[in-house]
Amino acid sequence: MRTEKVVFAFFIVFALTLNFGFFLGDFSNVHHHNVYELFAAIVVNLIATVLKFGDRTHLGSVFLATSLVADLQLICAAIIWGIHSQVLGVEMDENTLSTIVSLSGGALLANIISIVLLVAETVNLRR
Amino acid sequence: MSNLIYLLLRRLRAPLITLILVYAISILGYVLIPGEDGNRDLHHMSFFEAFYFVSFMGTTIGFGEIPYPFTQPQRYWTLVCLYATVISWLYGIGSLLSVFQDPAFRQQTKLNRFKRSVSRIRQPFYLICGYGETGRKLVQELALDGILSVVLDPDEGPINELEVNDLPISPLWLRADASDAQILEYAGINHSRCSGIISLANDDRVNLTIAIVAQLLNKNVRLIARADTKQAESNILSFGANEVINPFETFASRLALAIHSPGLHLIYEWTTGPRDQRLDEVYIPHQGRWIICGFGNFGRTAYQALDSIDQELCVIEPDRNRRDVPAGAIIGRPTEAATLRKAGVDEAVGIVAGTGNDPDNLSVLMTAGELNPNIFRVAHQNEEKNQPIFKAAKLDVVMQRGDLISNKIFALIRTPLLGDFLRIVARFKNDRANLLASRMIAVMGGEYPELWEFEVNQKETPALFERLENGQQVQVEDLLRHPEDREKRSEAIMLFLKRGEGNVILPENNRLIHTGDRFLMCGTQKAHYHLQIITRNVKYLEYALTGELLPDSWVWQKIVEKYGKH
Repeated sequence: MRTEKVVFAFFIVFALTLNFGFFLGDFSNVHHHNVYELFAAIVVNLIATVLKFGDRTHLGSVFLATSLVADLQLICAAIIWGIHSQVLGVEMDENTLSTIVSLSGGALLANIISIVLLVAETVNLRR
Repeated sequence: MSNLIYLLLRRLRAPLITLILVYAISILGYVLIPGEDGNRDLHHMSFFEAFYFVSFMGTTIGFGEIPYPFTQPQRYWTLVCLYATVISWLYGIGSLLSVFQDPAFRQQTKLNRFKRSVSRIRQPFYLICGYGETGRKLVQELALDGILSVVLDPDEGPINELEVNDLPISPLWLRADASDAQILEYAGINHSRCSGIISLANDDRVNLTIAIVAQLLNKNVRLIARADTKQAESNILSFGANEVINPFETFASRLALAIHSPGLHLIYEWTTGPRDQRLDEVYIPHQGRWIICGFGNFGRTAYQALDSIDQELCVIEPDRNRRDVPAGAIIGRPTEAATLRKAGVDEAVGIVAGTGNDPDNLSVLMTAGELNPNIFRVAHQNEEKNQPIFKAAKLDVVMQRGDLISNKIFALIRTPLLGDFLRIVARFKNDRANLLASRMIAVMGGEYPELWEFEVNQKETPALFERLENGQQVQVEDLLRHPEDREKRSEAIMLFLKRGEGNVILPENNRLIHTGDRFLMCGTQKAHYHLQIITRNVKYLEYALTGELLPDSWVWQKIVEKYGKH
């Protein structure tokens, strides 16, 4: 067992679970989607991205790419949320929320690919 | 490029994660800690406000407490976050700077820059492996002649001087091992403009490795290598090198030539010697007894060369344990007068000081000069920095390895046909060599020897090429006419003609010129210029061939066309 691998897998899985938690629920129901969960998902996703830096293998590059996609989608969602609540200063409505949730859904897909790669890599280890 | 980014990202992992965590915790803290608005009502900061505040606090910009003045608990939290964010920023920037300072990172940056500049080269260049005394001289001569060089050398030292150089064409350089195939590829061995590789390492094995690698990577590239021993020479030649230069062998055979074939010696000196010197008189040491001091690489080759022309020889070797000295050798210190006397310095005609130590060599020759004022003194100068003292000693011949190799390589680069020419000339009998030397002297006049070559093709000699393509005949002597007055001759001779695989030495005047012929010429600079005019300008060529002056301007051409020629 290597600590590095534990930390690596932990953050990747954690990024997926948080993302999934935020995504879960009715698309347009404000009460089903917590802003703190989105914040946590973004932070954990960023950390997972940094952990994937510097791996020169082909697999490592794909890992990094999926993480970057997830980051992009989640940060877009956060920006939309921020603009809606701060700049326009109105209550969250169904249209905006469904955009935010669908963006996080895309990030979820990227995170799932990341997990699939992680599992594939682990299975290929002959030890 | 990608290597660099990976290296950078890998090193910055820890500081980046620290930064993300510190920011996340700070933001979360502000969002959770209750604050007050202007009316002392409860106000929770939104994520946006918290991120905004942390961003300007962490970077020490500090716009103040936004959107409402903070409560005491918020200020406590600000204190904590302030130090945490500033420290994590310093940590991040510090790591970034240390990565830039890292030797591995810097070497990688240099390599990348080198690769990029090599791939951008759009002119013919030479790849030079080894930047010692020889390399420096060669790079300098090439640069002065307008030829770019790419230099590789694994050692710290002279190559760093290239960083600040005042050469007209700044060479590209990298401190790296040229026997590494990858490095050779980066340095452009497969580059379409690579004219050749010149391997000048001090170690024969390195030169051999470079020859093998170069041969495997690019069969067509011209390879010139240096070798200090006979075995290495033949070995490198067997790997497809075009020219191998053995400085000791070259020098020793010249010495022998000077004794038994002065004409040939002059031809060699003119063609491969320095361009700003000219040797007209050959020292002719009389046949007789020669003393050779030191039986190392230099001494041995000198011994073999002098032995092959039947000189009486005596070797003095200071090292008792050396086994391969010839019979009759005297073991002892050649710097002592007694040893020199024993070797017969009084009646000897010449002495060769070939030890690996410059002060020893000088001391031997000074002593020998005192014992026998008429003796012919030949020295091996090991280090370039000793040049002034060797000059001051006023010896008859000084062999300086760096000069010898760089001059010869430079000559071979400028006129590649020279290699073939010299190989044929080397078999000349004395009379023929003297005749050739006197013909060369006749065209050179009082100037330095100028050697050049040209090929009959569309690019180099358009006028001549066009004429030959039209089925007209041109003879060798027509090209040597003076472009202003066809009855006069340019001061040049054709030394050598290469037509396909055939070689012709000194082509006769009425030989017909074919397209694709390559000529090696010798003469004055002016003659070089005249020949260029005649082969490139249709009108001058016409004049040289027929004596007719073609009109230059369009109007005059029309007039001549209309009213015919007079």
